[in-house]
Amino acid sequence: MKKHFNQLVSYSVLAFVRRRARTALALSIGGFFWSVAPPLQAKPLSYVGGTMVMQENDETGYTLSIDYTFNPHFALGLYSKYEINQDEFWMAGPELNTLIKRWNLPDGQGNIFSMTGVGMARQGSNNQPAAWAALLADYETRRWFFSYEPRLTYAGDIEKSFWQRGYAGFAPYLANYDELNTWLLLRVDHHPAKHDHFVVTPVLRFFYKTIWLELGYSSNNHVMVNWTVQF
Amino acid sequence: MRHNLLILVILAALSGSAFAETITTTVNGMVCAFCATGIEKTFRKQPEVATVKVDLPKKLVTITTKPGKTLSDAKIKEVVTFSGYAMGKIVRQK
Repeated sequence: MKKHFNQLVSYSVLAFVRRRARTALALSIGGFFWSVAPPLQAKPLSYVGGTMVMQENDETGYTLSIDYTFNPHFALGLYSKYEINQDEFWMAGPELNTLIKRWNLPDGQGNIFSMTGVGMARQGSNNQPAAWAALLADYETRRWFFSYEPRLTYAGDIEKSFWQRGYAGFAPYLANYDELNTWLLLRVDHHPAKHDHFVVTPVLRFFYKTIWLELGYSSNNHVMVNWTVQF
Repeated sequence: MRHNLLILVILAALSGSAFAETITTTVNGMVCAFCATGIEKTFRKQPEVATVKVDLPKKLVTITTKPGKTLSDAKIKEVVTFSGYAMGKIVRQK
Protein backbone atom coordinates (compact mmCIF):
# COMPACT_ATOMS: atom_id res chain seq x y z
CA MET A 1 0.00 0.00 0.00
CA LYS A 2 2.78 2.33 1.05
CA LYS A 3 4.76 1.40 -2.06
CA HIS A 4 1.78 2.16 -4.32
CA PHE A 5 1.21 5.44 -2.61
CA ASN A 6 4.84 6.44 -3.02
CA GLN A 7 4.68 5.58 -6.70
CA LEU A 8 1.54 7.67 -7.11
CA VAL A 9 3.17 10.61 -5.45
CA SER A 10 6.41 10.29 -7.35
CA TYR A 11 4.60 10.31 -10.70
CA SER A 12 2.49 13.27 -9.70
CA VAL A 13 3.32 16.73 -10.92
CA LEU A 14 3.16 17.73 -7.31
CA ALA A 15 6.47 16.01 -6.81
CA PHE A 16 8.14 19.03 -8.34
CA VAL A 17 8.06 20.69 -4.97
CA ARG A 18 10.34 18.09 -3.45
CA ARG A 19 13.23 20.00 -4.85
CA ARG A 20 14.78 23.00 -3.31
CA ALA A 21 12.38 25.77 -2.51
CA ARG A 22 13.68 28.25 -5.05
CA THR A 23 13.50 25.64 -7.79
CA ALA A 24 9.89 24.95 -6.91
CA LEU A 25 9.09 28.64 -7.05
CA ALA A 26 10.68 29.00 -10.47
CA LEU A 27 8.86 25.94 -11.76
CA SER A 28 5.54 27.09 -10.43
CA ILE A 29 5.71 30.51 -12.03
CA GLY A 30 7.32 29.36 -15.25
CA GLY A 31 5.09 26.36 -15.72
CA PHE A 32 1.90 28.25 -14.96
CA PHE A 33 -0.48 25.71 -16.41
CA TRP A 34 1.61 22.69 -15.63
CA SER A 35 2.60 22.92 -12.02
CA VAL A 36 -0.25 23.13 -9.52
CA ALA A 37 -1.00 24.64 -6.06
CA PRO A 38 -3.54 26.01 -3.39
CA PRO A 39 -3.84 29.47 -1.91
CA LEU A 40 -5.66 28.43 1.19
CA GLN A 41 -7.37 31.80 1.37
CA ALA A 42 -9.19 31.09 -1.92
CA LYS A 43 -12.27 28.94 -1.69
CA PRO A 44 -11.25 25.26 -1.85
CA LEU A 45 -14.22 24.36 -4.09
CA SER A 46 -15.17 25.70 -7.48
CA TYR A 47 -18.30 24.86 -9.50
CA VAL A 48 -19.44 21.32 -10.20
CA GLY A 49 -17.30 19.88 -12.97
CA GLY A 50 -14.68 22.57 -12.46
CA THR A 51 -11.00 21.99 -11.84
CA MET A 52 -9.01 24.40 -9.74
CA VAL A 53 -5.25 24.67 -9.78
CA MET A 54 -3.74 26.63 -6.95
CA GLN A 55 -0.33 27.58 -5.71
CA GLU A 56 1.03 29.42 -2.73
CA ASN A 57 4.62 30.58 -2.33
CA ASP A 58 5.21 32.35 0.97
CA GLU A 59 7.25 32.48 4.16
CA THR A 60 5.96 29.05 5.25
CA GLY A 61 6.83 27.24 2.05
CA TYR A 62 5.54 26.23 -1.36
CA THR A 63 2.11 24.69 -1.60
CA LEU A 64 0.58 23.14 -4.66
CA SER A 65 -2.79 21.54 -5.28
CA ILE A 66 -5.27 20.56 -7.93
CA ASP A 67 -8.90 19.96 -7.01
CA TYR A 68 -11.90 18.70 -8.95
CA THR A 69 -15.34 19.70 -7.68
CA PHE A 70 -17.65 16.75 -8.24
CA ASN A 71 -20.57 17.90 -6.11
CA PRO A 72 -21.76 21.31 -4.82
CA HIS A 73 -20.35 20.33 -1.42
CA PHE A 74 -17.24 18.30 -2.21
CA ALA A 75 -13.97 18.58 -4.11
CA LEU A 76 -11.27 15.96 -4.30
CA GLY A 77 -7.69 16.80 -5.07
CA LEU A 78 -4.01 16.35 -4.58
CA TYR A 79 -2.13 18.52 -2.12
CA SER A 80 1.58 19.05 -1.69
CA LYS A 81 3.67 21.39 0.42
CA TYR A 82 7.38 21.96 0.74
CA GLU A 83 7.69 23.48 4.20
CA ILE A 84 10.54 25.95 4.80
CA ASN A 85 9.43 27.53 8.04
CA GLN A 86 12.15 26.44 10.48
CA ASP A 87 12.39 22.74 9.48
CA GLU A 88 12.35 21.80 5.83
CA PHE A 89 10.24 18.85 4.77
CA TRP A 90 7.90 17.82 2.01
CA MET A 91 4.38 16.54 2.45
CA ALA A 92 1.83 15.33 -0.11
CA GLY A 93 -1.33 13.32 -0.50
CA PRO A 94 -4.96 13.31 -1.58
CA GLU A 95 -7.23 15.89 0.01
CA LEU A 96 -11.01 16.19 0.42
CA ASN A 97 -12.45 19.70 0.58
CA THR A 98 -15.96 20.10 1.94
CA LEU A 99 -18.37 23.00 1.96
CA ILE A 100 -19.89 22.55 5.40
CA LYS A 101 -22.19 25.57 5.33
CA ARG A 102 -22.89 28.51 3.03
CA TRP A 103 -24.92 31.62 3.66
CA ASN A 104 -26.07 33.33 0.46
CA LEU A 105 -27.14 36.82 1.38
CA PRO A 106 -28.45 39.61 -0.87
CA ASP A 107 -25.16 41.51 -0.56
CA GLY A 108 -22.70 38.95 0.73
CA GLN A 109 -21.68 35.38 1.16
CA GLY A 110 -20.36 33.42 4.14
CA ASN A 111 -18.84 29.96 4.09
CA ILE A 112 -17.36 27.32 6.30
CA PHE A 113 -15.13 24.79 4.56
CA SER A 114 -13.01 21.91 5.78
CA MET A 115 -9.89 20.54 4.13
CA THR A 116 -8.62 17.15 5.23
CA GLY A 117 -5.95 14.93 3.81
CA VAL A 118 -3.64 12.02 4.44
CA GLY A 119 -0.36 11.20 2.77
CA MET A 120 3.36 11.04 3.31
CA ALA A 121 5.95 13.42 4.67
CA ARG A 122 9.63 13.23 3.82
CA GLN A 123 12.62 14.87 5.46
CA GLY A 124 15.88 13.65 4.01
CA SER A 125 15.61 9.86 4.14
CA ASN A 126 12.98 9.92 6.87
CA ASN A 127 9.51 9.07 5.55
CA GLN A 128 6.50 9.38 7.81
CA PRO A 129 2.74 9.06 7.38
CA ALA A 130 1.10 12.46 7.42
CA ALA A 131 -2.35 13.91 7.97
CA TRP A 132 -3.73 17.41 8.00
CA ALA A 133 -7.03 19.06 8.77
CA ALA A 134 -8.11 22.66 8.40
CA LEU A 135 -11.22 24.78 8.63
CA LEU A 136 -11.77 27.89 6.56
CA ALA A 137 -14.43 30.44 7.48
CA ASP A 138 -14.92 33.44 5.22
CA TYR A 139 -17.32 36.27 4.68
CA GLU A 140 -17.23 38.61 1.71
CA THR A 141 -19.22 41.32 0.07
CA ARG A 142 -18.27 43.14 -3.09
CA ARG A 143 -16.36 45.60 -0.87
CA TRP A 144 -15.10 43.60 2.15
CA PHE A 145 -13.36 40.29 2.70
CA PHE A 146 -12.59 38.43 5.94
CA SER A 147 -11.34 34.91 6.50
CA TYR A 148 -9.95 32.75 9.26
CA GLU A 149 -8.24 29.40 8.88
CA PRO A 150 -6.90 27.15 11.65
CA ARG A 151 -4.86 24.14 10.54
CA LEU A 152 -3.41 21.04 12.21
CA THR A 153 -0.56 19.07 10.68
CA TYR A 154 0.75 15.71 11.81
CA ALA A 155 3.76 14.07 10.21
CA GLY A 156 5.12 11.62 12.76
CA ASP A 157 8.44 12.73 14.22
CA ILE A 158 8.92 15.28 11.42
CA GLU A 159 6.16 17.72 12.31
CA LYS A 160 3.28 18.18 14.72
CA SER A 161 1.96 21.71 14.49
CA PHE A 162 -0.95 24.06 14.80
CA TRP A 163 -1.11 27.12 12.57
CA GLN A 164 -3.72 29.79 11.98
CA ARG A 165 -4.23 32.53 9.43
CA GLY A 166 -6.53 35.50 9.06
CA TYR A 167 -7.26 37.85 6.18
CA ALA A 168 -9.06 41.19 6.23
CA GLY A 169 -9.33 43.60 3.35
CA PHE A 170 -11.36 45.66 0.97
CA ALA A 171 -11.78 46.42 -2.72
CA PRO A 172 -10.82 50.05 -3.46
CA TYR A 173 -13.19 50.03 -6.42
CA LEU A 174 -16.08 47.76 -7.39
CA ALA A 175 -15.36 45.96 -10.63
CA ASN A 176 -17.80 44.07 -12.78
CA TYR A 177 -17.53 40.44 -13.87
CA ASP A 178 -15.45 41.09 -16.99
CA GLU A 179 -13.15 43.68 -15.40
CA LEU A 180 -9.98 43.38 -13.32
CA ASN A 181 -10.86 43.10 -9.63
CA THR A 182 -8.33 44.50 -7.15
CA TRP A 183 -8.20 43.98 -3.40
CA LEU A 184 -6.00 45.38 -0.63
CA LEU A 185 -5.65 42.97 2.28
CA LEU A 186 -3.71 42.32 5.43
CA ARG A 187 -2.81 38.75 6.25
CA VAL A 188 -1.72 37.62 9.71
CA ASP A 189 -0.18 34.20 10.27
CA HIS A 190 0.32 32.71 13.71
CA HIS A 191 2.75 29.80 13.98
CA PRO A 192 3.08 28.94 17.70
CA ALA A 193 5.69 26.24 17.03
CA LYS A 194 7.91 28.32 14.73
CA HIS A 195 10.47 31.10 15.14
CA ASP A 196 8.24 33.84 13.81
CA HIS A 197 5.15 33.44 15.91
CA PHE A 198 3.25 36.24 14.19
CA VAL A 199 3.88 37.23 10.60
CA VAL A 200 2.02 40.10 8.97
CA THR A 201 1.77 40.37 5.19
CA PRO A 202 0.20 43.24 3.26
CA VAL A 203 -1.33 41.68 0.17
CA LEU A 204 -2.42 42.91 -3.23
CA ARG A 205 -4.99 40.57 -4.75
CA PHE A 206 -6.07 40.66 -8.38
CA PHE A 207 -8.54 38.52 -10.18
CA TYR A 208 -10.02 38.47 -13.60
CA LYS A 209 -12.82 35.96 -14.11
CA THR A 210 -11.14 32.65 -13.20
CA ILE A 211 -7.55 33.79 -12.83
CA TRP A 212 -6.45 34.94 -9.40
CA LEU A 213 -3.09 36.41 -8.33
CA GLU A 214 -1.86 37.56 -4.92
CA LEU A 215 1.35 39.44 -4.24
CA GLY A 216 2.72 40.34 -0.84
CA TYR A 217 5.80 40.96 1.27
CA SER A 218 5.83 39.60 4.83
CA SER A 219 7.13 41.16 8.03
CA ASN A 220 9.88 38.52 8.10
CA ASN A 221 11.04 39.58 4.64
CA HIS A 222 9.58 36.95 2.34
CA VAL A 223 7.97 37.59 -1.00
CA MET A 224 4.53 36.04 -1.38
CA VAL A 225 3.20 34.96 -4.78
CA ASN A 226 -0.04 32.99 -4.91
CA TRP A 227 -2.19 32.13 -7.86
CA THR A 228 -5.31 30.17 -8.72
CA VAL A 229 -6.84 29.17 -12.02
CA GLN A 230 -10.23 27.55 -12.55
CA PHE A 231 -11.20 25.76 -15.73
CA MET B 1 -60.57 35.78 -47.30
CA ARG B 2 -61.31 33.57 -44.32
CA HIS B 3 -58.69 31.11 -45.58
CA ASN B 4 -56.01 33.86 -45.75
CA LEU B 5 -56.87 35.01 -42.25
CA LEU B 6 -56.44 31.47 -40.95
CA ILE B 7 -52.99 31.21 -42.58
CA LEU B 8 -51.97 34.53 -41.03
CA VAL B 9 -53.06 33.35 -37.58
CA ILE B 10 -51.12 30.09 -37.94
CA LEU B 11 -47.99 31.92 -39.17
CA ALA B 12 -48.20 34.38 -36.30
CA ALA B 13 -48.50 31.54 -33.81
CA LEU B 14 -45.55 29.68 -35.33
CA SER B 15 -43.33 32.74 -35.44
CA GLY B 16 -44.26 33.56 -31.84
CA SER B 17 -43.21 30.14 -30.64
CA ALA B 18 -39.84 30.54 -32.37
CA PHE B 19 -38.90 33.67 -30.43
CA ALA B 20 -36.00 33.51 -28.04
CA GLU B 21 -36.74 34.39 -24.46
CA THR B 22 -34.70 36.70 -22.26
CA ILE B 23 -34.80 35.69 -18.61
CA THR B 24 -33.25 37.74 -15.86
CA THR B 25 -32.76 36.47 -12.33
CA THR B 26 -31.16 37.93 -9.24
CA VAL B 27 -28.70 35.65 -7.48
CA ASN B 28 -28.03 35.99 -3.76
CA GLY B 29 -24.44 35.31 -2.75
CA MET B 30 -22.98 36.18 -6.14
CA VAL B 31 -20.40 38.68 -4.95
CA CYS B 32 -17.27 37.91 -6.96
CA ALA B 33 -16.16 36.88 -10.43
CA PHE B 34 -15.15 33.45 -9.17
CA CYS B 35 -18.71 32.89 -7.94
CA ALA B 36 -20.22 34.17 -11.16
CA THR B 37 -18.10 31.86 -13.31
CA GLY B 38 -19.72 28.77 -11.85
CA ILE B 39 -23.20 30.11 -12.48
CA GLU B 40 -22.33 31.22 -16.01
CA LYS B 41 -20.73 27.89 -16.95
CA THR B 42 -23.56 25.83 -15.48
CA PHE B 43 -26.19 27.82 -17.39
CA ARG B 44 -24.18 27.55 -20.62
CA LYS B 45 -24.31 23.75 -20.31
CA GLN B 46 -28.12 23.81 -20.54
CA PRO B 47 -29.23 22.88 -24.09
CA GLU B 48 -31.95 25.58 -24.11
CA VAL B 49 -29.50 28.41 -23.38
CA ALA B 50 -27.97 30.58 -26.12
CA THR B 51 -26.19 33.29 -24.10
CA VAL B 52 -25.50 34.14 -20.47
CA LYS B 53 -24.54 37.58 -19.16
CA VAL B 54 -23.52 38.40 -15.61
CA ASP B 55 -23.95 41.81 -13.99
CA LEU B 56 -22.13 41.66 -10.66
CA PRO B 57 -23.12 45.10 -9.30
CA LYS B 58 -26.81 44.29 -9.75
CA LYS B 59 -26.34 40.59 -8.89
CA LEU B 60 -28.18 39.75 -12.11
CA VAL B 61 -27.80 36.86 -14.51
CA THR B 62 -29.44 37.37 -17.91
CA ILE B 63 -30.10 34.26 -19.96
CA THR B 64 -31.19 34.29 -23.59
CA THR B 65 -32.72 31.03 -24.73
CA LYS B 66 -32.44 29.52 -28.18
CA PRO B 67 -35.36 30.30 -30.50
CA GLY B 68 -38.43 28.38 -29.48
CA LYS B 69 -36.88 27.23 -26.20
CA THR B 70 -37.54 28.24 -22.63
CA LEU B 71 -36.29 27.49 -19.13
CA SER B 72 -38.82 26.95 -16.37
CA ASP B 73 -38.51 28.75 -13.05
CA ALA B 74 -37.88 25.38 -11.41
CA LYS B 75 -35.00 24.66 -13.82
CA ILE B 76 -33.45 28.07 -13.22
CA LYS B 77 -33.67 27.56 -9.48
CA GLU B 78 -32.12 24.12 -9.86
CA VAL B 79 -29.15 25.51 -11.82
CA VAL B 80 -28.56 28.38 -9.41
CA THR B 81 -28.82 26.09 -6.38
CA PHE B 82 -26.59 23.47 -8.01
CA SER B 83 -24.02 26.21 -8.57
CA GLY B 84 -24.11 26.89 -4.83
CA TYR B 85 -26.18 30.07 -4.73
CA ALA B 86 -29.71 31.24 -3.98
CA MET B 87 -32.13 32.45 -6.62
CA GLY B 88 -34.05 35.70 -6.26
CA LYS B 89 -36.67 37.25 -8.50
CA ILE B 90 -37.17 36.13 -12.14
CA VAL B 91 -38.23 38.49 -14.95
CA ARG B 92 -39.09 37.17 -18.43
CA GLN B 93 -39.19 38.99 -21.77
CA LYS B 94 -40.02 37.67 -25.23
